[in-house]
Amino acid sequence: MKPRNLVYYFREALKSLRRNRLLSLATITTVAICILILGLSVLATLNASNLVNRLEADVEIIAFLDQDLSKYEISDVRNELISMSGVKSVEFISRDEALQNLQKNFGQKEYNLKETLGKNPLPHSFRIKGEDPRQTAGIARKVTAVEGIYKVNYGRGMVERLFSVTRWVRIISIAFIVALFFGAIFLIATTIRLAIFARRKEVYLMKLIGSTDWFIRWPFFIEGVFLGAMGALLAIAVLAGSYGSLVGHFETVFFLPLVNNPAILGRVYLSLLAGGAVLGVLGTWISLNRFLDV
Amino acid sequence: MLVQFYNVSKVYPNGVKALDDISLKIDRGEFVFLMGPSGAGKSTLVKMLFREELPTRGQIFLASRSLIRMKRSDVPALRRNMGIVFQDFKLLENKTVSENVAFAMEVTGASPRDIRSRVPEVIQMVGLKGKDQSFPGELSGGEQQRVGIARALANRPLLVIADEPTGNLDRDTSQEIMELLFDINRKGTTVVMATHARELVKIAHRRVVMLEKGRVVEDNPDGEALL
Repeated sequence: MKPRNLVYYFREALKSLRRNRLLSLATITTVAICILILGLSVLATLNASNLVNRLEADVEIIAFLDQDLSKYEISDVRNELISMSGVKSVEFISRDEALQNLQKNFGQKEYNLKETLGKNPLPHSFRIKGEDPRQTAGIARKVTAVEGIYKVNYGRGMVERLFSVTRWVRIISIAFIVALFFGAIFLIATTIRLAIFARRKEVYLMKLIGSTDWFIRWPFFIEGVFLGAMGALLAIAVLAGSYGSLVGHFETVFFLPLVNNPAILGRVYLSLLAGGAVLGVLGTWISLNRFLDV
Repeated sequence: MLVQFYNVSKVYPNGVKALDDISLKIDRGEFVFLMGPSGAGKSTLVKMLFREELPTRGQIFLASRSLIRMKRSDVPALRRNMGIVFQDFKLLENKTVSENVAFAMEVTGASPRDIRSRVPEVIQMVGLKGKDQSFPGELSGGEQQRVGIARALANRPLLVIADEPTGNLDRDTSQEIMELLFDINRKGTTVVMATHARELVKIAHRRVVMLEKGRVVEDNPDGEALL
């Protein structure tokens, strides 16, 4: 691409944008709406997966120990647990701690569990976390087999259901985003096809005069990228504004924590901007080639 | 030889047979009329010259290069050696006369300096000096066709192809356009012109190729005897 031509390409793109002001506006609006919906579903997915990650991270195994183990035996059990593959951390919870936790859950200071119960009925236990929460069931099975452990508790059934739900949440949201993306491409292709159709005689003439396909394409691409990026910017402004105020006012929705990491949100908005530009290019590409076949 | 057609046939996808075994040669510097009734295949033949259409059978050479074997990416370079004049002028309404002519050079990537010196030259050549800042809508039909011819000449073509260039013009204006094309031919450019206008051809004393139902029925070096 020659630099001299670059000036020509931008001039032509600008001229076309100005000449088809109404159509340009329509395209920008179309892109903005598509990107807005796309952005909303990305943010929703982001928050959903954030929630899923938290839920998954909360999955843990509690292994209760036999009552009469000595310090050394407890230490042996601990070593065996740590050396298991897939185990991330093992935390010892003494029976006193366990009682305190229980007391905390009841929440009333004046209600003294120890006095009520007379003695502490709770056993010592280990709190085990896996590297991958999905392997919890497998680890739990192995832990059960360890000598000195009489019971393992990991929310059996609950955990499996949680994972199948979260998997479906992920699949559905990705499918939704992909479908929206294709819908947006189609809409933009249609709008840009109208712009090209209005200039089809010019394109035909250029072909017969001997211009190369790329010479004809570039101004349309610049136009498409501009329209896509403008639409995306509009959508991002609306999205960032409303999401920002949502986070600012509530921090949580229905007790679900909202993602509010500027780095992550920044990346989302940048991707949406790039997405808008890509939509513009793809839409132009689809519409233009038919007219260049002369 | 500038143009060579060997046993060229064209059948369109809808089954219409536009050309049927045509062989034809056109030398450098010739002026050739393509004549024949509507549907005889004139348009198809003209479109093959600038490779908008390809034949179903046969070979076409332009300056010894095969148009059939030519790569798609070489087509622009081919067309830059031709100037095409259209019946409906195909001027860009939102550009001035100067800009319309310059456009033909811009799209081929000519330098601004070349464009600045060549555009007034061809505008003068077609007799439109002083009208270079007018828009097509402000010009008469004959003047618009002169702009079309100026645009065709801008890139110094080997071959000018005129498809019914006088089809939309009255008789006197047509005569003026013919004089302009003869003038271009006298300066050495080969001209191929498809037309219906018998009276123009009759007084021209140039080669006439007569088509009928996709075949060459006459090829006469002086059209007068034919008509």
